[in-house]
Amino acid sequence: MRHDGHLLELTGIGKHFGGLYALSGLDLYADEGEIVSVIGPNGAGKSTMFNVVTGLYPPDDGDVRFRGESIVGLAPNRITRLGISRTFQTVHLFPNMTILENAMVGQHCRSRSGVFGSVVRLPSTRREEERIRARARESLGFFGSRLAGYREEQPAFALSYANRRRLEMARALATDPVLILLDEPTAGMNPRETLELRDHIVRMRDDLGLTVLVIEHDMRVVKGVSDRVVALDYGRKIAEGTYEEVASDPQVIEAYLGTQAAG
Amino acid sequence: MIGGVARRSIVRGGLIGGVAAIYVALVGLYTKFADLELVGEQVTLGRVLIVAPALVAAYAVTRPRIVAGERRPVAFGPGVAAGAQTGAVTGAAFAAAVWFAYWFGIDRIREIFVSVTEPLIEFLTFGQGVPAGLPLLVGASVVGGAVGGFARTAPARVRDPVSIGVVAVLLLGLLQRIVPIVFVELGFEARWLYRSGSGLTLLGAALIFVVAAGASVAWDRGGERARDRVRKTVETAPAARLGLLVGILATLFVLPLLFGSVISEVLSQVMVYVLLGIGLNIVVGYAGLLDLGYVAFFAFGAYSTAVLTGAFLNTTTGAAEPALSADLNFYVAVWLVALLAAGVGLLIGAPVLRLRGDYLAIVTLGLGEIVSVITASRWAQPLIGGPQGMRGVTKAQIGGFNPQDHPQQFYYLALAFVLLALFVSWRLASSRIGRAWNAMREDEQVADAMGISIIKFKLLAFAMGGAIGSLGGALFAVNLGSLTPASFEILVSITALAVVILGGLGSLPGVVVGALVLIGLPGLLREFEEYRLLIYGGALVAIMVLRPQGLIPNVRRSRELEQEEVTQDAWAKEVTGEAEAIAAVVPGGTLGVEPEDLE
Repeated sequence: MRHDGHLLELTGIGKHFGGLYALSGLDLYADEGEIVSVIGPNGAGKSTMFNVVTGLYPPDDGDVRFRGESIVGLAPNRITRLGISRTFQTVHLFPNMTILENAMVGQHCRSRSGVFGSVVRLPSTRREEERIRARARESLGFFGSRLAGYREEQPAFALSYANRRRLEMARALATDPVLILLDEPTAGMNPRETLELRDHIVRMRDDLGLTVLVIEHDMRVVKGVSDRVVALDYGRKIAEGTYEEVASDPQVIEAYLGTQAAG
Repeated sequence: MIGGVARRSIVRGGLIGGVAAIYVALVGLYTKFADLELVGEQVTLGRVLIVAPALVAAYAVTRPRIVAGERRPVAFGPGVAAGAQTGAVTGAAFAAAVWFAYWFGIDRIREIFVSVTEPLIEFLTFGQGVPAGLPLLVGASVVGGAVGGFARTAPARVRDPVSIGVVAVLLLGLLQRIVPIVFVELGFEARWLYRSGSGLTLLGAALIFVVAAGASVAWDRGGERARDRVRKTVETAPAARLGLLVGILATLFVLPLLFGSVISEVLSQVMVYVLLGIGLNIVVGYAGLLDLGYVAFFAFGAYSTAVLTGAFLNTTTGAAEPALSADLNFYVAVWLVALLAAGVGLLIGAPVLRLRGDYLAIVTLGLGEIVSVITASRWAQPLIGGPQGMRGVTKAQIGGFNPQDHPQQFYYLALAFVLLALFVSWRLASSRIGRAWNAMREDEQVADAMGISIIKFKLLAFAMGGAIGSLGGALFAVNLGSLTPASFEILVSITALAVVILGGLGSLPGVVVGALVLIGLPGLLREFEEYRLLIYGGALVAIMVLRPQGLIPNVRRSRELEQEEVTQDAWAKEVTGEAEAIAAVVPGGTLGVEPEDLE
């Protein structure tokens, strides 16, 4: 699939809920092999932007292009099949399924066995199931031994909070994405876990060759991983550039200090 | 406080027991079963029912309390005392009601509650009349309460054998019409066990009690280790698993040969509902789509089988050819029926794709009703007979195999269908498809975001559920040979759902057990026929309160927490608590934290 220009490109995205404008006139892009951090105070529209990209909400204005093709109006599962995967701000696993099964669900869109094959267990179905399992294990293995081994058979709800976040990322990786959207991946993690995750995000780019779009509040993480930083406030882009450029932008400082003063 | 049970709790439990007893009296259970002898001449079902409310109330009152996160069982002695007191309250309330009825005038009350009669009062006072018999009634309740307290608080090594023994005796006493027939068919003498045309002999009851209690003791002693060993062998050795499967199949195969036509007939009814349960379980248990109109598939299966095998319409002047009719053999037609039913599944599924939960339930309820109404309508008369129905579904004979005239042979036909449906359902559940259904049930939006086509898999669930349910309808048509719209009412949907829920949503063994309990037991105990719905209701309420995951739960729904992670999670709860508060104000906040997350 050859295309010129950006891997993901949002142009003039607007989204409102009733009278509340969550996003207005937002332009944003990500190039292949880039880690782009999205920062901004609570309610700036960061998660809404993710939901628009992954098809959970249709945008009211503007266009979302992935590899040059518009993906507006596609169902979320179609967008995932095209190669965009995500995690959620509040962890959303399938709590009663095992850890391995959670990751195996990620491979669903890369497999095709139907009713007949599943009931008869055709050789091709069995091979596919093995492949799904192997791929799921591989993506669990991305986080070392934390999700591997005996834990595979444990239900997801039994995991610690940090491991739930890791499992959610492993599940997203198991969909074989080109672009991965991480929504506050370090929220609720302790400092050591946060540092570890920072390395994982970098490895997603370097080892797996993914493009990463990450919403993050922890500035050490943002500084450590970002090729580029985009700052949002009230649904608009207020700054864009390297970490240093954005961090010293007066509008960004105001947006953050304002929130701190209010909160 | 009596041994950790608050007085208030005793009074409240006792009064609830009293109300239950009055209810049992008003619906006529006492009058009906006053003379149904279970053991000897003295232990009648009616007398057991006099004791039962106090027993159940005391059993509930003496349950372990959770104090400061710690489970505190009630001690044995005080437990029995508290139970007896609960029974006394129950008995007093019941006796007061009896006395009131007597004082107010039996005939006046009877104008509303037709079961309140002189014989009822006579029965409840043990033939002594009011007021002389009232202390006897209270006394019986006290004894019942004490037994209830015993059953809850006695040391397990005494309690378990005794309870199991008593339950076994009562159950076999209830099965007095069936078990002697089975004995005779097996070529044994039953006279020492059952009095002719009545309940167990005293000797028989004593023997059953000893055997059941002994089995319970043996099970407790060597059982744990033996069970572990069996489980491990079955898990590790495929040969053992195969052996077990062959064993079960062989047992199922010889069952009707041993037990004869009565049991075969009951089992065949059970299997029709097992089929409905398996199909509905795909829709409700696997895919999480609450379908209250499942009768649609049952009716479709039955009527399309009739039409495709050349049955006749009932008319006032005799039989008539349907407007549309084929003359296929049943074994050819049934595949066509399943295929068409899958299509009907798509038709029913399509309009409800966007609906969830309550809304889905209401709409499917309506769709099911539409099908019921169509079967009974004049409009459909030329095709399926309308109100008069159809008859002559007779094409199920192959050579000497004629399931329509021989209940035992029908059993084999039904068994084949059930095994096929179980196999298909099990394979689907353990495949990529089952995983997709599961993910969809747990969180539809997230499943969608993980690449599962919600539309496709909802429709697939309706189609598969419909196909299997229609097999139940086809069997039903063959079994009866004739069809009337009265068989296709909402009650079928409710019963099928009750079977699935009682057994445990998403559990195939659960469906089988649920059907055995809800269809098999009432089939054996014909005396209870008119109270069938009352018993369904009671059973469902009890299961929801005591064991919401069902009798044989699906593994997923009963998973327990791993201890080591619990402590790690203590602080995480606070964090997710905040996240939840945020999620609640996010627009379209269906992506909130699930309660399961917080466990």
